[in-house]
Amino acid sequence: MEFDWTEGDLAYRAEIKAFLKDRLGDGWDGYDKSDLAGYRRDSVAFCGAMAEQGWLTQNWPREYGGQEASAWRAAILSEELWPIGEPRGPQYMNVNWIGPAIMKAGTEDQKLYHLNRISRGDVGWCQGFSEPDAGSDLPALRTRAVRDGDDYVVNGSKIWTSHVGTADFCFLLVRTDPDAPKRAGISILLTPMDTPGIDVRHIDGFAGEQSFHQLVFEDVRVPASCRLGEENQGWGIVREALSYERVGAAHYDRARLILDDTIAEAKRNGLIDDPEIQSRIGEVYAAIEASRLLVYKVVDQRAHDMPPTADANISRVAQTQALRLAGELAHEVFGTWGLEAGTGGDMRRVLTFSVAAGATEMQLDQIASNHLNLPKAK
Amino acid sequence: MDLTLSETQTQILDAVGRILERNGGWRRAKDVTDQTAHDDRLYDELQEGGFTELALADGTGPLDAALVVERIAEDAAVVANAASLLVYPMVTRRPAPGPVAIADAGGGPFRLGAAAKMLLIQDGERALRLEPELSDLAQVDNDRTGWPLTTLAPSALARAEDLGPGAGAALRNWRRVGLALEMAGAMRGALDTTVQYVKDRVQFGRPIGSFQAIQHRLAQLTVQAEGAYWLALEAAWRNADPIHAAAAATHAAANAPAVLRETQQMHGAIGFTRDYPLHLWTLKLPALQREMGGARAHARAVAKGLAA
Repeated sequence: MEFDWTEGDLAYRAEIKAFLKDRLGDGWDGYDKSDLAGYRRDSVAFCGAMAEQGWLTQNWPREYGGQEASAWRAAILSEELWPIGEPRGPQYMNVNWIGPAIMKAGTEDQKLYHLNRISRGDVGWCQGFSEPDAGSDLPALRTRAVRDGDDYVVNGSKIWTSHVGTADFCFLLVRTDPDAPKRAGISILLTPMDTPGIDVRHIDGFAGEQSFHQLVFEDVRVPASCRLGEENQGWGIVREALSYERVGAAHYDRARLILDDTIAEAKRNGLIDDPEIQSRIGEVYAAIEASRLLVYKVVDQRAHDMPPTADANISRVAQTQALRLAGELAHEVFGTWGLEAGTGGDMRRVLTFSVAAGATEMQLDQIASNHLNLPKAK
Repeated sequence: MDLTLSETQTQILDAVGRILERNGGWRRAKDVTDQTAHDDRLYDELQEGGFTELALADGTGPLDAALVVERIAEDAAVVANAASLLVYPMVTRRPAPGPVAIADAGGGPFRLGAAAKMLLIQDGERALRLEPELSDLAQVDNDRTGWPLTTLAPSALARAEDLGPGAGAALRNWRRVGLALEMAGAMRGALDTTVQYVKDRVQFGRPIGSFQAIQHRLAQLTVQAEGAYWLALEAAWRNADPIHAAAAATHAAANAPAVLRETQQMHGAIGFTRDYPLHLWTLKLPALQREMGGARAHARAVAKGLAA
């Protein structure tokens, strides 16, 4: 056991920092996502440059063009990219879990078709998961896909979908067997977003400029060759993919940036001398660092090729709470100036984190059953 | 970065686990607690087993000693643990000459003073060392805190040896790491006991651990306790760097009250009995949690470090 980075890891981090400074300049803080075309263009250009460095898919197996870099390299990359606003745009999902899911379950044709696009860094994906009546209870999803010749005919609706505006493909979960137990009747369709019959409806949100959408599918014909994995076997693939999603982004370092801004503001406005504020700064810092180590534990398991465990859920809850504590403290320290856009820890975006990628209550359920082995409620 | 135990560390933990088991585990801890004593027998075994040398020995270091401290605390042992295995060796660069206790000059009751062969005394920016005499110490009715408590007579300070420049800061930082480890261990012990209890205890025709009202709270406590564990280990690895040490102590001390309150609550009435072992962990927490000014003082030390 050791808590220091290797020389190689340190050099790698320095290279990334230099690359970011070169491409984005100092003080870059995210894309203007209201300019969708610009967002897409710039994030694609950034991912292309990362691909040239060999960094975009560095963690992938060599047979798919990766370098089999250690899971720690992905963690370092995330620590440098996520806190400043994720210059990869939505493409971090592609490399973190969509690509790996395709490697694991895809046909040779699907691998050829999709993995090259993802490796080049010029393709956008969105996740067709949640539905109006299937949120936390995701396996209850009802969007129906009925086989008709060489196609599936899809009808239904997906909601709260992010990154639709930049998506070329949707990682779409559909029900192919309505009579089977709910987890045993789900399939995945790698659906091109330009397929006729997909209606995209914008939903206005108040948490950050990244809006979400509802996707309505009306007799959408998706070729059966787009199905990932066997029919009705989609849930297992998605479950594993989601375990990667949960630690894909270094939220603890976002929380740390918020805390650093808060300390700077507290020094400016004099609150730094308030014992109550001092005490809270210490507690927030400790919570952030605890969540960092709990994420590292998950990265370490991956670096040792161990299967995913409920430690991913533990790290997610810890990060959620550290981020919330940082956001709450920021609001207190910034006062009414914290209401100004772009300041004060971005409370509204902080709020979304305990809902996104599985609500905290779902994470706690997983910890109770898979880590503590507590008996099932039923 | 590698958060997996090395082979040596696994062997060390197995070895200390065997000693604790042979010693009688929590049953022995209960006997010692009931007598308001120090587990001299366990201390001797730890010393003979070389565990008091780990922090300074070739091939091992403070992290290995820290792992052992946490493990001993998980078993609720009433023994001069972090003070002897980690704090004393790291502050003086010598192995503990026997059980060590840590006091504050002019401070209140402290743990395990009567059994101590050596005292470390925090006196502002100074660290002192003193072989206590009987007249230096006064017993304090311990109100069943799980620890024997004493106070230190101010006159004893005149005989104490000043450990020199820098020792005061080193004592403060290593003491925080030690507290964090002992709290992390006690939190784990209380939680493990409670997780087993809610699996076994049947009410309304089902184990109470199947109720979500219990599950979410235990899951949440697990997040806090695991965080405390890892922060404490990292602080030991970083040689009690002031911010890391204070952050580890903050997280443990800030979350210990919830562990105490919730594990007691989930046990119902049996948790308040002397026969049932839960109190061996929970009652140890308040003393650890209050030391050095508690979570608030640790947290303010973090903030001062960050703002500097």
